[in-house]
Amino acid sequence: MRFLALITVIITGMILIYGTVDMPDWGDPNSPASLHVSPRYIEKTMEETATPNMVTSVLADYRGYDTLGETTVIFTAGLSCALILRVRKRRKKRS
Amino acid sequence: MLDLIVSKYNYWIYITLMMIGFYAMIGKRNLIKKVIGMNIFQTAIILFFVSTASKKWATLPIIEHAHGHEEHAIQVASYINPLPHVLMLTAIVVMVSTLGVALAILIVIYKKYHTLEEDEILRFHK
Repeated sequence: MRFLALITVIITGMILIYGTVDMPDWGDPNSPASLHVSPRYIEKTMEETATPNMVTSVLADYRGYDTLGETTVIFTAGLSCALILRVRKRRKKRS
Repeated sequence: MLDLIVSKYNYWIYITLMMIGFYAMIGKRNLIKKVIGMNIFQTAIILFFVSTASKKWATLPIIEHAHGHEEHAIQVASYINPLPHVLMLTAIVVMVSTLGVALAILIVIYKKYHTLEEDEILRFHK
């Protein structure tokens, strides 16, 4: 069983390494991820949100509803932890 | 060949890390080890996304001399891509939530079975 898992992991790793040959180089300024959408945010962030920090402006301004949903995720996780781990009160024995 | 190694070795490091997590998920019997393996897997994905943001000779995505110098043109090539960083902040939140809930469930499992080994729990049900 453990041997089978090792074989699966090695084969998956080899397939993924074969896939990286077509990926853009590390730090390539002309990689597709840096050319298509992100220049718009870099250019317009001061004009539209007056925030120099682009990560903050995208997180709290452009994607504000996404961040609201994120807080819902955290709240749900905390609530479910509390519900799972709660200690039920023992009923007092009636004397 | 050396060129390929120099330009792609970051991906290989993340794949190694991801496969360590994957092996822990499918090869180990202890449930805690499985959960931590899932966490290592997610960390590898986060590192991968953050590395796609990098550009050579670029700095952090915070505009320099921002206020009071609005007339300066912003050079796109001098700031790294901010979007993967934002998306990975969201992914970190999901990672922490899943880890917390999974560990809470494991505490309940330990209280019920007094073990965290998968095969012993399965034997309990035979």
